[in-house]
Amino acid sequence: MGATFVITLREAFEASLILGIVYTYLEKIEARDNYRYVTWGGVLGLLVSVGMGIGVGYLSGPLLDLGPDLVGAAVIFAAVGLLTWHAWWMQQHARAIRGQVQHRIDEARAAQRLWMVGLIAFTGVFREGAETVLFLWGIMAQAASPDGWGSLLGGATGVATAAALGWAIFHGGKHLSLSKFFAVTTVFILLLAAGLFSTGIGRLQGLGFLPLGEPVWDTSALLSDRTVLGSFLTGLVGYRARPSALEAIGYVAYLVTAAGLIWGRGFRSGDGQRQPAISIASRPDPGPTAKVASQRATAVRGDTDSTARGPANSS
Amino acid sequence: MTRCLSLMVGVAVAGTWLLGGGVLSADAQTEIALTVENHRFQPEEITVKAGTPFVLVITNKDKSPEEFESHDLRIEKVIPAGKTVRLKMPALKPGTYGFVGEYHAQTAKGRIVAE
Repeated sequence: MGATFVITLREAFEASLILGIVYTYLEKIEARDNYRYVTWGGVLGLLVSVGMGIGVGYLSGPLLDLGPDLVGAAVIFAAVGLLTWHAWWMQQHARAIRGQVQHRIDEARAAQRLWMVGLIAFTGVFREGAETVLFLWGIMAQAASPDGWGSLLGGATGVATAAALGWAIFHGGKHLSLSKFFAVTTVFILLLAAGLFSTGIGRLQGLGFLPLGEPVWDTSALLSDRTVLGSFLTGLVGYRARPSALEAIGYVAYLVTAAGLIWGRGFRSGDGQRQPAISIASRPDPGPTAKVASQRATAVRGDTDSTARGPANSS
Repeated sequence: MTRCLSLMVGVAVAGTWLLGGGVLSADAQTEIALTVENHRFQPEEITVKAGTPFVLVITNKDKSPEEFESHDLRIEKVIPAGKTVRLKMPALKPGTYGFVGEYHAQTAKGRIVAE
């Protein structure tokens, strides 16, 4: 029972984490009407998982040798792409709704892209879905024996525990302030996606598309990623007890690139127009050109102010 | 957004290209047979020549699916009931590499010894 519990918990944890995050996201941006995208995405992911679990039995030859693995690897990288996009978009969104307009969510704009959140739910569930379905199917086949019932119970409890954890995230996330939620989830998603990216690299190594090499470190004696705690850390932050060099490099490279994409851009586009004036003004000894520029900037600002005040004065 | 999509398309294209390469290069390698029966591997120890890629031909004779998993080699491969899969294995350094049938890990255990 214990063994099957750990397996299904491990397989379902990541899906549950992703579902918890996207549901909370919709709750936070007051787009509860759009829960259906996530629900449909999740249900579709489950159905396709069952379909693939059954369908894989009808495959043979090279299609069976490589087909499911390529689909699996493609789903991993698609999930990484979608999660990165989501984190990036949340960051853009966070900037737009910061301050006074906190509650004025642009529903139209939101609805236009929220189906992407459904796609995230789909990849999240489908990624380990087929494997979990096959596993549960396998233990159901043996359910006739007393041992089999125990295994089945363990498997079901594992899935239920993972779902409960997703629910806990949803519940906990609801009480965070909007900006805090966005900040925390962005970091969460990036770590999760970095772990997935490194898993994807591992898959390509297993398929022989990338060289494997020796593990860079071995902490399996300290914390094996097959234990419950290890599994949680694997799902949450991409922990590996024996990572290959490429997996470790991929993890770091993804984090650096994604963080640069999400936060790096923000600095430049945030207050783009005012920035030159500020940087000139803050210099200790501005040159003559800078002085002219800053005077101009003041002049422009003055103009704007007077124009703005204009109608008020005249009325 | 566009960048994300083009990245995904890129991955898909690369995947297709690799599929072609993978299938073509699978020829002319030593094949080693491995059977799953009663949720056990037969044989439980496979000896291979270090430094030479090979193909593992795994047949599942059970009525339920099994997952051949080697954590060390990053391989997770479901073998449906009654099916045979051919797994391309890399050239291994001398050493022992464990594998399990993840769906019945208590009984289905084995190892590859590269020497």
